[in-house]
Amino acid sequence: MPHNSTSSPDRPERDGQGPLEERVIISLNHVNLSYPDQVALKDVNFQVANGEFLCLTGPSGAGKSSILRLISMDAFPTRGQVRVRGMLASSMNRRRIPQLRREIGFVFQDFRLLEDRSVYDNVAFAQLVIGVPGRQIAENVTRVLNKVGLWEKRHRKPCQLSGGEQQRVAVARAMVNSPKILLADEPTGNLDPVTAQEIIDLLFRFNDMGTCVIFSTHDHGIVKTFGRRVIVLENGAIVSDKLRDDQVDRTARLDDGMYRAESAGPRPQQVEVPSHA
Amino acid sequence: MLSGSQWKYLARESVAGFRRRTLTTGVTILIMSSSLMVLAVLTMTTLNLGNLLDTARQGIDMRVFLMDNLPAQQLAELQPRLLRIPGVADVQFISRDMALDEFRQSLGDDASLLALLDANPLPASYRLELTRGSRTLQAVHGIRDEIAGWEEVSDILYNQEWIDVLERWTYRFQMASLVVGLVVFLAAIFVISNTVKLTIASSSAVIRVQKLVGATNTFIRTPFICEGMMQGLLAGTLAMGLLATAMHVMKDELTGLIVFTPAQMAGFVGLCVVLGLIGSWAAMGKYLGLRSEG
Ligand SMILES: Nc1ncnc2c1ncn2[C@@H]1O[C@H](COP(=O)(O)OP(=O)(O)OP(=O)(O)O)[C@@H](O)[C@H]1O
Ligand SMILES: [Mg+2]
Repeated sequence: MPHNSTSSPDRPERDGQGPLEERVIISLNHVNLSYPDQVALKDVNFQVANGEFLCLTGPSGAGKSSILRLISMDAFPTRGQVRVRGMLASSMNRRRIPQLRREIGFVFQDFRLLEDRSVYDNVAFAQLVIGVPGRQIAENVTRVLNKVGLWEKRHRKPCQLSGGEQQRVAVARAMVNSPKILLADEPTGNLDPVTAQEIIDLLFRFNDMGTCVIFSTHDHGIVKTFGRRVIVLENGAIVSDKLRDDQVDRTARLDDGMYRAESAGPRPQQVEVPSHA
Repeated sequence: MLSGSQWKYLARESVAGFRRRTLTTGVTILIMSSSLMVLAVLTMTTLNLGNLLDTARQGIDMRVFLMDNLPAQQLAELQPRLLRIPGVADVQFISRDMALDEFRQSLGDDASLLALLDANPLPASYRLELTRGSRTLQAVHGIRDEIAGWEEVSDILYNQEWIDVLERWTYRFQMASLVVGLVVFLAAIFVISNTVKLTIASSSAVIRVQKLVGATNTFIRTPFICEGMMQGLLAGTLAMGLLATAMHVMKDELTGLIVFTPAQMAGFVGLCVVLGLIGSWAAMGKYLGLRSEG
């Protein structure tokens, strides 16, 4: 495949190498991930373009979190290559991982806010610890808290907020460093359907501004209404990777056999060209 | 390295942390400072014993008594032979007359008793002065064994017994101090690393978020290292403060003994800060989980 990044495994991908390569921000190349007692991912192969919005779905234990951990270099492939923003996981200097994390926002099902700090301080924390100057911190935090609609509640502690609001704080914290990539591992897992949809809408808004968003979910309702690229995992392998808006009959299939692959194993990667970029 | 806002943040956090953990920190500092006091007192005792031994060794004095009526030729050859023995720095000949004079002086008022003697009963002798490195029992014995076989020599005397005892006890005491010192050292490191571990455990949520948003390991480690060093500093200062007070109170009893100078005390405090550093470093190795990320 011409856009396959294995052609230059040692050289970081640089902007301007080609129209397609320029857009690839994440690529997993025949990736296997094994834990001591089990195989979590088998020959996972896909690429994500800059600005893309992607949903990972599949039953519990399918490997969704594992893929997100690989992308944030919290885990490393047993076999194959993971490349994020041109950086190859296997040859990555571990000291540079914090640098990578600053370009990746992360949101979890359990929010992971600091309970003894206010909303404002939770968001500012992400800037403080990486050494952003004070004035700039105030600016960025104000901007992002306004964007998630929590500026008025900035003095509250997390325990004084609803689950949806807490998750919005988490999204604000993930976005305050203006990352190129936002990873969200079951961001709606602890939320009721209406609140969940609000969070997804929030992710859409950040995607509209050019952030590449990847989220995982096993919520059928969200997958059904999600009009973008969906990757379905099962037992650590990709069983389907499709753009929702050009697969009209897909909804019906997802309804009765949510995670069943209709045919064989992994398909060739597809890269969606972001329409808003 | 760290930026200004980061240092400000770390300073604020560590003050808050100290306040949150006043009790644990206080207990740690008390335990540490009392063990450090023990260490300091041991060190001073060891120094004084060594000093005492040194003084005693300076007084080591070997006397080689000679046979009567040695021919002048043989007597003259003896001096260079003695000087050639390793460990002998100088020799001084004491003739029979000189010996008698010495004896007379030491008798003082009773010197008239000597008139009762019709001849001088004292033998001639050489007094050996030893080099610094040879003022040990072992070296003295070596020299004695070498000379003992010479036909010109009738007897060899040296003030051996109490140096022997002092040497043995000093050695034992120094070994014991070394062991105790080592134990105190390790214990201090252990106590500090334990407190820091507690802090790390109670900060796991913060650490997790820090890693998540891309804080460097240096940044994540800094507050814990500061905490350990701070504890070392406080414990060392407290220990030296108590020691200085005690020394002041017992001023009269301590005259003539070696005690720590202020500079040495400062050095000791510095050592405690290093202990704190090692302790916190040891705590993080296992509990911070940063190894995989350098
Ligand atoms: N640290 C680990 N050690 C060992 N096995 C692990 C570890 N983390 C995950 N696994 C295993 O790897 C497989 C994939 O896990 P993963 O967390 O990626 O699944 P998931 O799709 O996110 O599931 P869920 O929807 O329940 O979150 C699972 O079978 C899991 O048991
Ligand atoms: Mg998961």
